[in-house]
Amino acid sequence: MATTSRFKTLKDMPVEDYLTPGNTMCAGCGGILAVRIFHKVLGPNVAWINAAGCMTITMSYPLSPIKSNWLYTAFASAPAGAQGVRDALDFLIAKGRLPASEDMKVVVVTGDGAAYDIGFQATAGAIDRNLDFYYLCYDNEAYGNTGFQMSTSTPFGASTKTTPATEAFPLGNTGRKKDLFEVWRIQKAPYVATLSNSHGVDFLRKVEKGGTIKGPKLYIDFAACPTGWGFDPKDSVEVEKLVVQTGIWPLKESVNGVVRHTFVPRSLVPVKEYLKTQERFRHLFEPAEKSEAVSIIQSQVNEYWRKAAAAEDLDVRLPEGAR
Amino acid sequence: MIVRVRFHGRGGQGAKTASRILGTAAFNAGHFIQDFPVYGAERRGAPVASFTRFSDEEITERGFIFSPDVVAVMDDSLIVDPLANPLAGLRKGGCAVINTTKGADAVGGARKDVVVVPVALTEQALKFLGKPVLSAGIAAAVARVSGIKEESLLAGVDEELREVGLSEDMVKRNLEFAKSIYGELAPLKLKTEELPGKEELVPLALVVSGEGTEDVTRTGNSTVRHTGNWRTFRPAIDYEKCTDCMICYAYCPESAMSVGSDGRVKIDYDNCKGCMICLTECPLRAISQTREGGLQ
Repeated sequence: MATTSRFKTLKDMPVEDYLTPGNTMCAGCGGILAVRIFHKVLGPNVAWINAAGCMTITMSYPLSPIKSNWLYTAFASAPAGAQGVRDALDFLIAKGRLPASEDMKVVVVTGDGAAYDIGFQATAGAIDRNLDFYYLCYDNEAYGNTGFQMSTSTPFGASTKTTPATEAFPLGNTGRKKDLFEVWRIQKAPYVATLSNSHGVDFLRKVEKGGTIKGPKLYIDFAACPTGWGFDPKDSVEVEKLVVQTGIWPLKESVNGVVRHTFVPRSLVPVKEYLKTQERFRHLFEPAEKSEAVSIIQSQVNEYWRKAAAAEDLDVRLPEGAR
Repeated sequence: MIVRVRFHGRGGQGAKTASRILGTAAFNAGHFIQDFPVYGAERRGAPVASFTRFSDEEITERGFIFSPDVVAVMDDSLIVDPLANPLAGLRKGGCAVINTTKGADAVGGARKDVVVVPVALTEQALKFLGKPVLSAGIAAAVARVSGIKEESLLAGVDEELREVGLSEDMVKRNLEFAKSIYGELAPLKLKTEELPGKEELVPLALVVSGEGTEDVTRTGNSTVRHTGNWRTFRPAIDYEKCTDCMICYAYCPESAMSVGSDGRVKIDYDNCKGCMICLTECPLRAISQTREGGLQ
């Protein structure tokens, strides 16, 4: 991929912006940054299909920060909306009622609430019908728009509005983050990839690569959320960097079911370094460190990379003293 | 007598928590109370409002406060924001507590029939807490001018901030912050009178001052929203040090940075929200921050 991509360094990021300033997302929002970069690669002719979430608020009448098109759907049905738009474009172009030059790329954009939970089956349907569309999930690991309630994307040990750290549940969320990448992959989606805004070139290349593939192209972007996670907005990209360096969020892609890691951290930073950056994990360290919980998180990461290293012959050094 | 307080802040400054602290403080002082925020699509930085009523008799009023006795404005840029309109309906003889470094001039003579109490809260919050969260400070200011005892206030700060889950250290620092603001001000004897005329709801029409009504058919018309007044700090590029590596440009979530025809990165101060990702990410430290001086 590296030899054919037009993206070598961040300097190759297209300078055309299709997201205009003055949107209503929180300062330092990782989700809107993902939309901005994604749009740059796709170019101007895009129809965004959105399900309820933070991004919905960017389109507050009468002001819009997107220079292309935007369609709302109900929470569960963004991929169904995408099917409608795709079919309409195809029919109109086939009948000569719309010039082919006005064709659009159809992109579903939702948060993790719609992708992991509420729109789960609509996505499965779209994959099954081999709908030619992109899916961009900006994953901030909870229902951020409504006040940060737990979703099935919420990681183990995170405190949310509905899984606060209490005496009865001192760890906060005791569930484990759903592996949506795998769920989408085993449904035989031709292209599935994970993204992190902090690894911009990897991000640009994956979106570019999606353009060469017909059918569902599904992306999960790790979108740092200063408001929900509790950190200073200025550290947004730093948090995204750390989640990759700790190995918690692996950057990978699957082409026709074959997985390849696109960025391999040579030596994993201990997960503690990442957890400590955010309020939602503060109860793991205060008043005293809950080292058992932290080591559970670390061993999940270690287990993941041991398997990945064996499968792809990767050279990954686990943190010192790793079990 | 009922004291009606309306808080205007920006999402993240702590307007909702301030209304709760004041409510609990007044409750501790033996009053009947109500406190509640406006629920809606609030965002960090966007104008938000919350309310507190307290009285020594049972309160039978309900709903939003359209004619407050006291307004607490947590950011002076809100005064000219048509969506916030914080001085609307403030009773004659009422009080406007304003977080500003400009003194009483902050309201620009808009209301001569009210008492203006300027207080530099952001500076104090940065000193005590290291971040511009103002809930304890603004609640302390309103408690002081409306005659609530210091111990009632501090108990309110303690209880409410613990409830939102602040650490022991942060609660302590907020108590110091509240004490400092409380000590800086003096109680007022307020005699308020409702403004003549029927209560009017703030019209929903979007008027962006000086720009007329925006064309809804123009794509990307959000540039007129001017989210630049969300900033607490203002980034500036030192072009001597900058090597045009474009990292800041790549990571600006707002598209508030653009590349000029000379290949240099420029900041759109009308809409930059001051998240300061650019400052963190600049490998050459060519970006600096200064405290925002308010809208020009």
